[in-house]
Amino acid sequence: MALAVLQRIADGDQNAVQECLNSYGGLVWSLARRMLRNQDDAEDAVQEIFLDIWRNAAKFDPALASETTFVAMIARRRLIDKIRFTQRRISADSLEDVLNEPAGSSEKDLQVQVEGREAFRVLNELRPEQRQVLQLSIIHGLSHQEIADTTGMPLGTVKTHARRGLLQARELFGFGEQRSTKEVTA
Amino acid sequence: MSENMEERLLDLLCKRAVSGLNEKETQELDELERSVGSPVDLQSLELTAAAISTAGVRPDDKLPDHLKAGIVKKADDFFNEQKAASSNAHPVVVEPAAPSRSIWGWLGWAAAALASIALIANIWITNSRAPQIAGPGATPTPTPEQLAPTQMRDKFMASARDMVKAELGKGNMPDIAAAGDVVWSDSMQEGYVRVSGVPKNDKNAYTYQLWIFDETQDPKTPIDGGTFDVNEDGEVVIPIDARLKTRNPKAFAITMEKPGGVVVSKQEKVPAMAQVKLNQG
Repeated sequence: MALAVLQRIADGDQNAVQECLNSYGGLVWSLARRMLRNQDDAEDAVQEIFLDIWRNAAKFDPALASETTFVAMIARRRLIDKIRFTQRRISADSLEDVLNEPAGSSEKDLQVQVEGREAFRVLNELRPEQRQVLQLSIIHGLSHQEIADTTGMPLGTVKTHARRGLLQARELFGFGEQRSTKEVTA
Repeated sequence: MSENMEERLLDLLCKRAVSGLNEKETQELDELERSVGSPVDLQSLELTAAAISTAGVRPDDKLPDHLKAGIVKKADDFFNEQKAASSNAHPVVVEPAAPSRSIWGWLGWAAAALASIALIANIWITNSRAPQIAGPGATPTPTPEQLAPTQMRDKFMASARDMVKAELGKGNMPDIAAAGDVVWSDSMQEGYVRVSGVPKNDKNAYTYQLWIFDETQDPKTPIDGGTFDVNEDGEVVIPIDARLKTRNPKAFAITMEKPGGVVVSKQEKVPAMAQVKLNQG
Protein backbone atom coordinates (compact mmCIF):
# COMPACT_ATOMS: atom_id res chain seq x y z
CA MET A 1 0.00 0.00 0.00
CA ALA A 2 2.63 2.47 1.11
CA LEU A 3 4.85 1.51 -1.80
CA ALA A 4 2.30 2.89 -4.20
CA VAL A 5 2.29 6.43 -2.84
CA LEU A 6 5.52 7.72 -4.31
CA GLN A 7 4.87 5.92 -7.57
CA ARG A 8 1.47 7.57 -7.84
CA ILE A 9 2.98 10.97 -7.13
CA ALA A 10 5.64 10.33 -9.73
CA ASP A 11 2.84 9.54 -12.16
CA GLY A 12 1.25 12.91 -11.45
CA ASP A 13 -1.58 11.65 -9.25
CA GLN A 14 -2.23 14.62 -7.01
CA ASN A 15 -4.68 12.61 -4.93
CA ALA A 16 -1.71 10.71 -3.54
CA VAL A 17 -0.41 13.86 -1.85
CA GLN A 18 -2.80 13.57 1.06
CA GLU A 19 -1.91 9.93 1.52
CA CYS A 20 1.76 10.82 1.43
CA LEU A 21 1.22 13.48 4.09
CA ASN A 22 -0.77 11.06 6.25
CA SER A 23 1.87 8.37 5.91
CA TYR A 24 5.03 10.46 6.26
CA GLY A 25 3.97 13.81 7.70
CA GLY A 26 4.67 12.66 11.24
CA LEU A 27 8.05 11.24 10.30
CA VAL A 28 9.19 14.38 8.50
CA TRP A 29 7.81 16.67 11.19
CA SER A 30 9.53 14.65 13.90
CA LEU A 31 12.88 14.72 12.11
CA ALA A 32 12.62 18.46 11.47
CA ARG A 33 11.73 19.32 15.06
CA ARG A 34 14.43 17.12 16.51
CA MET A 35 17.19 18.31 14.23
CA LEU A 36 16.32 22.00 14.00
CA ARG A 37 14.82 22.56 17.45
CA ASN A 38 13.00 25.63 16.25
CA GLN A 39 9.34 25.67 15.31
CA ASP A 40 9.58 28.25 12.51
CA ASP A 41 12.63 26.63 10.94
CA ALA A 42 11.02 23.22 11.22
CA GLU A 43 7.84 24.41 9.49
CA ASP A 44 9.82 25.95 6.63
CA ALA A 45 11.93 22.82 6.31
CA VAL A 46 8.97 20.45 6.22
CA GLN A 47 7.43 22.29 3.28
CA GLU A 48 10.71 22.18 1.39
CA ILE A 49 11.15 18.50 2.19
CA PHE A 50 7.81 17.52 0.74
CA LEU A 51 8.63 19.39 -2.44
CA ASP A 52 11.90 17.43 -2.56
CA ILE A 53 9.97 14.20 -2.05
CA TRP A 54 7.58 14.90 -4.92
CA ARG A 55 10.40 15.93 -7.22
CA ASN A 56 12.29 12.74 -6.46
CA ALA A 57 9.39 10.34 -6.16
CA ALA A 58 10.23 8.68 -9.46
CA LYS A 59 13.67 7.78 -8.18
CA PHE A 60 12.43 5.67 -5.30
CA ASP A 61 13.60 2.10 -5.75
CA PRO A 62 12.06 -0.48 -3.38
CA ALA A 63 14.98 -2.79 -4.09
CA LEU A 64 17.32 -0.36 -2.32
CA ALA A 65 15.32 0.69 0.73
CA SER A 66 11.83 1.03 2.13
CA GLU A 67 9.73 4.03 1.25
CA THR A 68 10.02 5.24 4.85
CA THR A 69 13.81 5.15 4.70
CA PHE A 70 13.80 6.89 1.33
CA VAL A 71 11.61 9.68 2.69
CA ALA A 72 13.77 9.97 5.80
CA MET A 73 16.92 10.17 3.67
CA ILE A 74 15.53 13.02 1.58
CA ALA A 75 14.35 14.79 4.70
CA ARG A 76 17.71 14.42 6.41
CA ARG A 77 19.59 15.76 3.41
CA ARG A 78 17.49 18.93 3.47
CA LEU A 79 17.77 19.27 7.25
CA ILE A 80 21.54 18.79 7.23
CA ASP A 81 21.73 21.50 4.58
CA LYS A 82 19.74 23.86 6.73
CA ILE A 83 21.76 23.15 9.83
CA ARG A 84 25.02 23.74 8.04
CA PHE A 85 23.72 26.82 6.29
CA THR A 86 22.43 28.49 9.41
CA GLN A 87 24.94 26.94 11.78
CA ARG A 88 21.97 26.50 14.03
CA ARG A 89 22.75 24.23 16.90
CA ILE A 90 20.90 22.83 19.81
CA SER A 91 21.00 24.90 22.99
CA ALA A 92 22.63 23.76 26.20
CA ASP A 93 19.24 23.58 27.91
CA SER A 94 17.72 21.39 25.25
CA LEU A 95 20.85 19.23 25.29
CA GLU A 96 20.08 18.36 28.84
CA ASP A 97 16.55 17.44 27.83
CA VAL A 98 17.90 15.17 25.14
CA LEU A 99 20.28 13.35 27.45
CA ASN A 100 17.65 12.91 30.13
CA GLU A 101 15.04 11.65 27.70
CA PRO A 102 13.83 8.23 28.80
CA ALA A 103 14.78 5.88 26.01
CA GLY A 104 12.41 3.23 27.26
CA SER A 105 9.33 5.34 26.70
CA SER A 106 10.32 6.03 23.13
CA GLU A 107 10.77 2.38 22.44
CA LYS A 108 7.46 1.52 24.04
CA ASP A 109 5.70 4.15 21.98
CA LEU A 110 7.15 2.68 18.84
CA GLN A 111 5.71 -0.80 19.22
CA VAL A 112 3.41 -0.31 16.28
CA GLN A 113 6.02 1.28 14.08
CA VAL A 114 7.84 -1.45 12.29
CA GLU A 115 10.65 0.67 10.98
CA GLY A 116 11.27 2.30 14.31
CA ARG A 117 11.37 -1.08 16.01
CA GLU A 118 13.84 -2.35 13.47
CA ALA A 119 16.01 0.70 14.08
CA PHE A 120 15.94 0.05 17.80
CA ARG A 121 16.82 -3.59 17.22
CA VAL A 122 19.86 -2.57 15.19
CA LEU A 123 20.89 0.11 17.67
CA ASN A 124 20.67 -2.40 20.49
CA GLU A 125 23.11 -4.68 18.70
CA LEU A 126 25.77 -1.97 18.74
CA ARG A 127 28.18 -1.29 21.56
CA PRO A 128 26.64 1.12 24.12
CA GLU A 129 29.06 3.93 23.27
CA GLN A 130 28.40 3.53 19.55
CA ARG A 131 24.68 3.52 20.16
CA GLN A 132 24.88 6.66 22.28
CA VAL A 133 26.92 8.54 19.69
CA LEU A 134 24.63 7.54 16.83
CA GLN A 135 21.49 8.40 18.78
CA LEU A 136 22.82 11.82 19.71
CA SER A 137 24.06 12.60 16.22
CA ILE A 138 21.38 11.07 14.01
CA ILE A 139 18.25 11.24 16.13
CA HIS A 140 19.01 14.47 17.96
CA GLY A 141 21.19 16.26 15.42
CA LEU A 142 24.21 16.97 17.61
CA SER A 143 27.61 17.58 16.07
CA HIS A 144 30.59 15.45 17.01
CA GLN A 145 32.01 18.34 18.99
CA GLU A 146 28.75 18.80 20.88
CA ILE A 147 28.67 15.10 21.69
CA ALA A 148 32.25 15.29 22.93
CA ASP A 149 31.46 18.34 25.05
CA THR A 150 28.34 16.78 26.47
CA THR A 151 29.51 13.25 27.16
CA GLY A 152 33.11 13.99 28.04
CA MET A 153 34.39 11.63 25.38
CA PRO A 154 37.47 12.84 23.45
CA LEU A 155 36.49 14.12 20.00
CA GLY A 156 38.53 11.41 18.28
CA THR A 157 36.70 8.75 20.26
CA VAL A 158 33.35 10.20 19.24
CA LYS A 159 34.39 10.06 15.58
CA THR A 160 35.58 6.49 15.94
CA HIS A 161 32.33 5.39 17.60
CA ALA A 162 30.31 7.18 14.93
CA ARG A 163 32.25 5.57 12.10
CA ARG A 164 32.34 2.06 13.48
CA GLY A 165 28.77 2.20 14.68
CA LEU A 166 27.44 3.47 11.36
CA LEU A 167 29.38 0.88 9.38
CA GLN A 168 28.15 -1.92 11.60
CA ALA A 169 24.58 -0.65 11.44
CA ARG A 170 24.89 -0.51 7.65
CA GLU A 171 25.69 -4.21 7.62
CA LEU A 172 22.91 -5.03 10.08
CA PHE A 173 20.34 -3.18 7.97
CA GLY A 174 21.68 -4.92 4.88
CA PHE A 175 22.51 -1.73 3.00
CA GLY A 176 26.12 -2.79 2.67
CA GLU A 177 25.11 -5.61 0.38
CA GLN A 178 23.52 -3.30 -2.16
CA ARG A 179 25.80 -1.55 -4.56
CA SER A 180 23.29 -0.75 -7.19
CA THR A 181 23.87 1.37 -10.25
CA LYS A 182 20.55 3.05 -9.56
CA GLU A 183 21.14 5.48 -6.76
CA VAL A 184 18.47 7.52 -5.08
CA THR A 185 19.06 11.21 -5.28
CA ALA A 186 17.52 14.16 -3.62
CA MET B 1 45.74 3.00 0.54
CA SER B 2 47.31 3.59 3.91
CA GLU B 3 45.33 2.72 7.00
CA ASN B 4 45.27 6.35 8.09
CA MET B 5 43.96 7.51 4.73
CA GLU B 6 41.24 4.86 4.74
CA GLU B 7 40.19 5.78 8.24
CA ARG B 8 40.09 9.45 7.33
CA LEU B 9 38.08 8.67 4.21
CA LEU B 10 35.61 6.60 6.20
CA ASP B 11 35.40 9.35 8.83
CA LEU B 12 34.48 11.88 6.18
CA LEU B 13 31.98 9.61 4.43
CA CYS B 14 30.28 8.79 7.73
CA LYS B 15 30.24 12.41 8.80
CA ARG B 16 28.76 13.42 5.49
CA ALA B 17 25.97 10.88 5.91
CA VAL B 18 25.30 11.76 9.53
CA SER B 19 25.73 15.51 9.82
CA GLY B 20 27.15 16.84 6.56
CA LEU B 21 30.54 18.31 5.71
CA ASN B 22 31.80 21.85 5.47
CA GLU B 23 33.45 23.05 2.29
CA LYS B 24 36.97 22.24 3.42
CA GLU B 25 35.99 18.71 4.41
CA THR B 26 34.15 18.21 1.14
CA GLN B 27 37.28 19.15 -0.78
CA GLU B 28 39.34 16.81 1.35
CA LEU B 29 36.89 13.98 0.71
CA ASP B 30 36.94 14.64 -3.00
CA GLU B 31 40.74 14.61 -3.08
CA LEU B 32 40.94 11.41 -1.06
CA GLU B 33 38.45 9.72 -3.35
CA ARG B 34 40.39 10.90 -6.37
CA SER B 35 43.58 9.38 -5.09
CA VAL B 36 42.46 6.20 -3.37
CA GLY B 37 38.85 5.54 -4.35
CA SER B 38 35.89 5.02 -2.05
CA PRO B 39 35.77 1.91 0.15
CA VAL B 40 32.02 2.20 0.77
CA ASP B 41 29.03 3.58 -1.04
CA LEU B 42 27.95 6.93 0.43
CA GLN B 43 24.30 6.31 -0.26
CA SER B 44 24.34 3.12 1.79
CA LEU B 45 25.57 5.20 4.73
CA GLU B 46 22.88 7.84 4.14
CA LEU B 47 20.23 5.12 4.07
CA THR B 48 21.64 3.68 7.28
CA ALA B 49 21.44 7.06 9.01
CA ALA B 50 17.93 7.55 7.65
CA ALA B 51 16.82 4.15 8.93
CA ILE B 52 18.26 4.90 12.38
CA SER B 53 16.51 8.26 12.43
CA THR B 54 13.13 6.53 12.40
CA ALA B 55 13.84 5.32 15.92
CA GLY B 56 13.19 8.84 17.16
CA VAL B 57 9.68 9.02 15.76
CA ARG B 58 6.75 8.62 18.10
CA PRO B 59 3.15 7.78 17.25
CA ASP B 60 2.04 11.18 18.53
CA ASP B 61 4.32 13.03 16.11
CA LYS B 62 1.66 14.48 13.82
CA LEU B 63 2.01 17.15 11.23
CA PRO B 64 0.12 20.27 12.43
CA ASP B 65 -3.06 20.87 10.44
CA HIS B 66 -2.11 24.38 9.34
CA LEU B 67 1.19 23.08 8.03
CA LYS B 68 -0.51 20.21 6.23
CA ALA B 69 -2.88 22.68 4.58
CA GLY B 70 0.05 24.80 3.44
CA ILE B 71 1.78 21.78 1.94
CA VAL B 72 -1.38 20.75 0.10
CA LYS B 73 -1.51 24.24 -1.37
CA LYS B 74 2.10 23.94 -2.46
CA ALA B 75 1.22 20.60 -4.00
CA ASP B 76 -1.38 22.35 -6.14
CA ASP B 77 1.26 24.76 -7.38
CA PHE B 78 3.75 21.97 -7.93
CA PHE B 79 1.45 19.75 -9.96
CA ASN B 80 0.10 22.69 -11.95
CA GLU B 81 3.66 23.65 -12.79
CA GLN B 82 4.40 20.08 -13.84
CA LYS B 83 1.35 20.01 -16.06
CA ALA B 84 2.22 23.36 -17.59
CA ALA B 85 5.77 22.21 -18.27
CA SER B 86 4.61 19.06 -20.00
CA SER B 87 2.13 20.94 -22.18
CA ASN B 88 4.43 23.84 -23.00
CA ALA B 89 6.40 22.35 -25.86
CA HIS B 90 8.84 24.69 -27.54
CA PRO B 91 11.24 23.43 -30.18
CA VAL B 92 14.68 24.68 -29.32
CA VAL B 93 17.28 25.74 -31.84
CA VAL B 94 20.74 24.84 -30.75
CA GLU B 95 24.21 25.44 -32.03
CA PRO B 96 27.58 23.78 -31.46
CA ALA B 97 29.53 25.22 -28.59
CA ALA B 98 32.76 27.07 -29.21
CA PRO B 99 35.92 26.18 -27.29
CA SER B 100 37.00 28.54 -24.60
CA ARG B 101 40.00 28.98 -22.34
CA SER B 102 37.80 28.72 -19.27
CA ILE B 103 35.11 26.19 -20.04
CA TRP B 104 33.13 26.62 -16.84
CA GLY B 105 33.45 30.37 -17.16
CA TRP B 106 32.08 30.29 -20.68
CA LEU B 107 29.27 27.97 -19.77
CA GLY B 108 28.58 29.97 -16.65
CA TRP B 109 28.36 33.17 -18.66
CA ALA B 110 26.08 31.54 -21.18
CA ALA B 111 23.84 30.20 -18.47
CA ALA B 112 23.81 33.46 -16.57
CA ALA B 113 22.98 35.40 -19.71
CA LEU B 114 19.97 33.25 -20.36
CA ALA B 115 18.48 33.10 -16.91
CA SER B 116 18.99 34.20 -13.38
CA ILE B 117 20.89 31.38 -11.74
CA ALA B 118 20.02 30.88 -8.09
CA LEU B 119 22.97 30.55 -5.76
CA ILE B 120 22.70 27.41 -3.70
CA ALA B 121 25.03 27.80 -0.78
CA ASN B 122 25.16 24.22 0.25
CA ILE B 123 25.37 22.49 -3.09
CA TRP B 124 28.46 20.68 -1.85
CA ILE B 125 26.38 18.99 0.74
CA THR B 126 23.36 18.16 -1.36
CA ASN B 127 25.42 16.66 -4.15
CA SER B 128 26.05 12.96 -3.88
CA ARG B 129 28.45 10.55 -5.42
CA ALA B 130 28.14 10.05 -9.12
CA PRO B 131 26.21 7.00 -10.22
CA GLN B 132 27.40 4.73 -12.96
CA ILE B 133 25.26 4.85 -16.04
CA ALA B 134 25.96 2.65 -18.96
CA GLY B 135 26.23 3.29 -22.66
CA PRO B 136 26.55 0.78 -25.45
CA GLY B 137 29.71 -1.17 -24.98
CA ALA B 138 29.64 -0.59 -21.25
CA THR B 139 27.61 -2.81 -18.96
CA PRO B 140 24.04 -2.00 -19.91
CA THR B 141 21.54 -1.37 -17.14
CA PRO B 142 18.44 -3.23 -18.28
CA THR B 143 15.20 -1.29 -18.22
CA PRO B 144 11.92 -2.97 -17.40
CA GLU B 145 11.27 -3.15 -21.11
CA GLN B 146 14.84 -4.26 -21.85
CA LEU B 147 15.34 -1.45 -24.34
CA ALA B 148 18.78 -0.49 -25.55
CA PRO B 149 19.78 3.14 -24.91
CA THR B 150 19.26 3.96 -28.58
CA GLN B 151 15.73 2.56 -28.39
CA MET B 152 15.10 4.41 -25.15
CA ARG B 153 16.21 7.61 -26.83
CA ASP B 154 13.96 6.96 -29.82
CA LYS B 155 11.02 6.37 -27.55
CA PHE B 156 11.87 9.50 -25.60
CA MET B 157 12.15 11.58 -28.77
CA ALA B 158 8.71 10.42 -29.84
CA SER B 159 7.03 11.21 -26.52
CA ALA B 160 8.82 14.23 -25.02
CA ARG B 161 6.69 17.32 -25.48
CA ASP B 162 9.05 19.86 -23.96
CA MET B 163 12.31 18.54 -25.32
CA VAL B 164 15.44 20.68 -25.42
CA LYS B 165 18.11 19.64 -27.88
CA ALA B 166 21.69 20.93 -27.97
CA GLU B 167 24.42 19.94 -30.38
CA LEU B 168 27.71 18.81 -28.95
CA GLY B 169 30.91 20.44 -30.12
CA LYS B 170 34.55 20.48 -29.12
CA GLY B 171 35.61 21.26 -25.60
CA ASN B 172 39.09 22.28 -24.49
CA MET B 173 40.84 19.24 -26.00
CA PRO B 174 41.70 20.12 -29.61
CA ASP B 175 42.61 16.54 -30.50
CA ILE B 176 39.12 15.28 -29.73
CA ALA B 177 36.55 16.02 -32.41
CA ALA B 178 33.43 15.30 -30.42
CA ALA B 179 30.08 15.47 -32.15
CA GLY B 180 26.52 14.53 -31.34
CA ASP B 181 23.74 16.03 -29.28
CA VAL B 182 22.04 16.18 -25.92
CA VAL B 183 18.28 15.97 -25.51
CA TRP B 184 16.42 16.67 -22.31
CA SER B 185 12.83 17.01 -21.03
CA ASP B 186 12.08 18.91 -17.83
CA SER B 187 8.68 17.36 -17.39
CA MET B 188 10.02 13.82 -17.78
CA GLN B 189 13.32 14.56 -16.03
CA GLU B 190 14.88 12.36 -18.66
CA GLY B 191 17.41 12.88 -21.39
CA TYR B 192 20.14 11.32 -23.50
CA VAL B 193 23.60 12.11 -24.74
CA ARG B 194 24.49 10.89 -28.21
CA VAL B 195 28.18 11.34 -28.84
CA SER B 196 30.84 10.23 -31.28
CA GLY B 197 34.48 11.12 -31.70
CA VAL B 198 35.48 10.66 -28.08
CA PRO B 199 38.13 8.01 -27.48
CA LYS B 200 37.46 4.68 -25.81
CA ASN B 201 38.40 4.89 -22.15
CA ASP B 202 40.14 2.51 -19.80
CA LYS B 203 37.55 2.51 -17.04
CA ASN B 204 40.24 1.78 -14.48
CA ALA B 205 42.03 4.96 -15.48
CA TYR B 206 39.26 7.47 -16.09
CA THR B 207 35.61 7.85 -16.97
CA TYR B 208 33.44 10.40 -18.71
CA GLN B 209 31.04 12.54 -16.72
CA LEU B 210 28.18 14.75 -17.88
CA TRP B 211 27.39 18.14 -16.32
CA ILE B 212 24.16 20.09 -16.70
CA PHE B 213 23.97 23.89 -16.37
CA ASP B 214 20.43 24.89 -15.53
CA GLU B 215 18.58 27.77 -13.93
CA THR B 216 18.49 26.26 -10.47
CA GLN B 217 22.21 25.94 -9.83
CA ASP B 218 25.23 28.18 -9.59
CA PRO B 219 27.20 27.73 -12.84
CA LYS B 220 30.24 26.93 -10.73
CA THR B 221 28.50 23.84 -9.43
CA PRO B 222 26.51 22.37 -12.31
CA ILE B 223 24.34 19.32 -11.85
CA ASP B 224 26.05 15.95 -12.09
CA GLY B 225 24.48 14.10 -15.01
CA GLY B 226 26.17 10.75 -14.34
CA THR B 227 29.27 8.95 -15.53
CA PHE B 228 29.72 6.66 -18.51
CA ASP B 229 32.35 4.63 -20.30
CA VAL B 230 33.00 4.40 -24.02
CA ASN B 231 34.07 0.90 -24.93
CA GLU B 232 33.67 0.98 -28.68
CA ASP B 233 34.28 3.28 -31.60
CA GLY B 234 31.52 5.20 -33.25
CA GLU B 235 28.40 6.73 -31.79
CA VAL B 236 27.22 5.91 -28.28
CA VAL B 237 23.98 6.84 -26.56
CA ILE B 238 23.92 7.37 -22.82
CA PRO B 239 20.88 7.96 -20.60
CA ILE B 240 21.35 11.05 -18.43
CA ASP B 241 21.08 10.44 -14.71
CA ALA B 242 20.62 13.94 -13.26
CA ARG B 243 21.44 13.93 -9.57
CA LEU B 244 19.18 16.90 -8.87
CA LYS B 245 15.91 18.16 -10.22
CA THR B 246 16.85 19.92 -13.46
CA ARG B 247 14.99 22.91 -14.84
CA ASN B 248 15.51 24.72 -18.09
CA PRO B 249 19.03 23.53 -18.91
CA LYS B 250 21.15 26.04 -20.78
CA ALA B 251 24.33 24.11 -21.46
CA PHE B 252 25.95 20.70 -21.08
CA ALA B 253 29.56 19.56 -20.77
CA ILE B 254 31.37 16.22 -20.75
CA THR B 255 34.52 15.94 -18.67
CA MET B 256 37.09 13.22 -18.07
CA GLU B 257 37.27 12.24 -14.42
CA LYS B 258 38.61 9.58 -12.12
CA PRO B 259 36.74 6.25 -12.11
CA GLY B 260 33.40 6.68 -10.38
CA GLY B 261 33.23 10.38 -11.16
CA VAL B 262 33.57 13.41 -8.89
CA VAL B 263 31.29 15.73 -6.99
CA VAL B 264 32.86 18.89 -8.38
CA SER B 265 34.93 18.84 -11.55
CA LYS B 266 38.24 20.60 -11.87
CA GLN B 267 37.28 21.01 -15.56
CA GLU B 268 40.81 20.12 -16.65
CA LYS B 269 39.73 17.82 -19.47
CA VAL B 270 36.55 18.76 -21.28
CA PRO B 271 36.26 16.79 -24.52
CA ALA B 272 32.79 18.07 -25.46
CA MET B 273 30.22 20.69 -24.60
CA ALA B 274 26.98 22.13 -25.89
CA GLN B 275 25.01 25.32 -25.48
CA VAL B 276 21.32 25.90 -25.97
CA LYS B 277 20.84 28.79 -28.38
CA LEU B 278 19.42 32.05 -27.07
CA ASN B 279 16.47 32.57 -29.41
CA GLN B 280 13.84 29.94 -28.86
CA GLY B 281 11.02 28.98 -31.08
